[in-house]
Amino acid sequence: MIFTIFLKELKDTLRDKRTVRMMIIIPTLVLPLTLSLVTKISHNFEKEAAEKPLKIGVVSNQNELMQELKNVPKTLGAKSFVYYKDSSSLKTDLKNDSIQIGFYVPTNVAELKEKMQPISITVFHDGTDLGMQDRADSYLDYIHNKWQKERYKTLKINESTINPIAKKYTNVASNQEMIGKLIGGFLPYLIISFAFMGCMFPAIDLFTGERERGTIETLLTVPVARWKILFGKMGVVVFSGLMASTFSFIGIYLSIEVFDLVENPEILAVIKDILSPVFIGMLYLLLLPLVVFFAGLMIVITVRAKTFKEAQSLLSPLNILVVLPAMSGLFPGFELNEMTAMIPIVNIVLATKELMAGTLEWHLVALSFGIMIVLAVGAVFLSYKKFESESTLIA
Amino acid sequence: MIAVKNLSKSFDLSKKQQKEFGTKEKTVIAVDDVSFECQPGRVHALLGANGAGKTTTLRMLSTIFKPTSGSITINGIDVTKQPNEARKQIGFLTGSAGLYARLTPNELIDYFGKLYGVEKNAIEQRKNQLFDLLDMHEFKDKRIGKLSTGMKQKVSICRTMIHDPQVVIFDEPTSGLDVITAENIIHLIQNCKNEGKTVIFSSHIMGEVDLLCDDITIIHKGKVLFNDTMEAFRNQMVAPNLTAEFIRIVQQEKNI
Repeated sequence: MIFTIFLKELKDTLRDKRTVRMMIIIPTLVLPLTLSLVTKISHNFEKEAAEKPLKIGVVSNQNELMQELKNVPKTLGAKSFVYYKDSSSLKTDLKNDSIQIGFYVPTNVAELKEKMQPISITVFHDGTDLGMQDRADSYLDYIHNKWQKERYKTLKINESTINPIAKKYTNVASNQEMIGKLIGGFLPYLIISFAFMGCMFPAIDLFTGERERGTIETLLTVPVARWKILFGKMGVVVFSGLMASTFSFIGIYLSIEVFDLVENPEILAVIKDILSPVFIGMLYLLLLPLVVFFAGLMIVITVRAKTFKEAQSLLSPLNILVVLPAMSGLFPGFELNEMTAMIPIVNIVLATKELMAGTLEWHLVALSFGIMIVLAVGAVFLSYKKFESESTLIA
Repeated sequence: MIAVKNLSKSFDLSKKQQKEFGTKEKTVIAVDDVSFECQPGRVHALLGANGAGKTTTLRMLSTIFKPTSGSITINGIDVTKQPNEARKQIGFLTGSAGLYARLTPNELIDYFGKLYGVEKNAIEQRKNQLFDLLDMHEFKDKRIGKLSTGMKQKVSICRTMIHDPQVVIFDEPTSGLDVITAENIIHLIQNCKNEGKTVIFSSHIMGEVDLLCDDITIIHKGKVLFNDTMEAFRNQMVAPNLTAEFIRIVQQEKNI
């Protein structure tokens, strides 16, 4: 009988446009669309920044440094110069964006160079105009390196002798570990958020909706135990949550394989490697008690609400309570341990992150899984008590 | 047959409900020591003003609510002890009940047939009989949400009768319906009576009560004011018609 109820509710749910949007369309498209948008915007930004000829304001006389500035290769960005007599008018133009960088060069450059003394150059820039300081640095670094080498030569110094320590870093972490630990928090955040949203509309529709439409009264007169009715309905809520997560996976697959939106080959290789049947199976195993937990909590709330609107407003705070811990995986260095394994949602997020990095500690996963099972059972029990209560159902 | 003995139902009030109802009482007694019997092949009217306790009584009969005290037996089955067995005997039709708008009548009737434990072949047979009787074939595969009120009411009737219940409960079944649709319900009730089913009927429309009912129970503030046959009710009438007599009895109780 539970299956009969499940099938009917599933059919009913899949005919609801809001649910289909939340369960299938949005999870599938949100990642490809977001990635596509972000990639396009950042490409345009980079291209524009690289191609944009820079107007550099200079307070200087004609000296060797100015000559070097003019000779900075075009590969570091096109540029032109505007000359000023003092720095105040330069700063005004910088604020008006007539120029993008300003250099104040001392008049005694030749003397300082000759005496091998430091030449102090003041760089004026607008901090809100991102990337400009970096470009100024790249020009000055070019000249600095060139003149430094000349001084070494003049002083007959072997460059290697003045660097007592030569640092060499060897990363023992694999690419999978690096990517899993650094950006691996994004995947559980995505699938947990969608699992929650996937549960939300069916829960409202199958419980509050049943009450709002007045169908609950007739349903309770059929010779089927209430727990069976509850489980049939809950099955659809859980199924919808898992489906929304699955479609967010499909969104990742589409981004990689169809739309070719992940450009970094190392990240791409790791993601392809991670998305194996074993990984997906493990992920679903971790996700299942979490989704049952969501479904149980939502039923407790939606069964009390009298209207769709009321149910939505009651579920909104729960949404925040889920999304915030789901974001925990995005913070580097926040890892699964005996303490974090006890925190619901956070434990699943971190366990997924460890799973992606291939650094899973099984006792911590078992602890996380156990905690979520206990909470899921508790939420189901609460929903059962609420669904049994005649005053909650028919008031 | 339905036998209701010393039936009572009280509800605990939350603080919010106490505010809403303007009372400091922590419980409210909706039904208070109500007793009556409904016989097969007869239509029993359950009357009362709004808030009298009719719907609560019918919800207890249909096993939605559990009685606080007293007993209800339906064809010898105690509804509190064997609710599922009792439910198999009951068809419940209310004017306020909705339907699943995204299903078709065909799908909805199949679903309820399965929930009532009716065999697949029997569902098909019974469904076709009801579709013929109610002239539903034309819209049986359209989504319920797109049907007219009259069509929806036919679907509700079909849902109520798919398991061929021996006891049928009608709670204000014609409220808000047009004359033609209400007439379908009247015919259904008459058919049920002719088939020897036990029918309990709650309504505010005294013309329907006069036309259909053999027995009558009037309740007010949860208590029984009158319980006898329609004939006995007519014989004791002081007022010129049923409506006036009903009002007189309720007013008399209010004055006391």
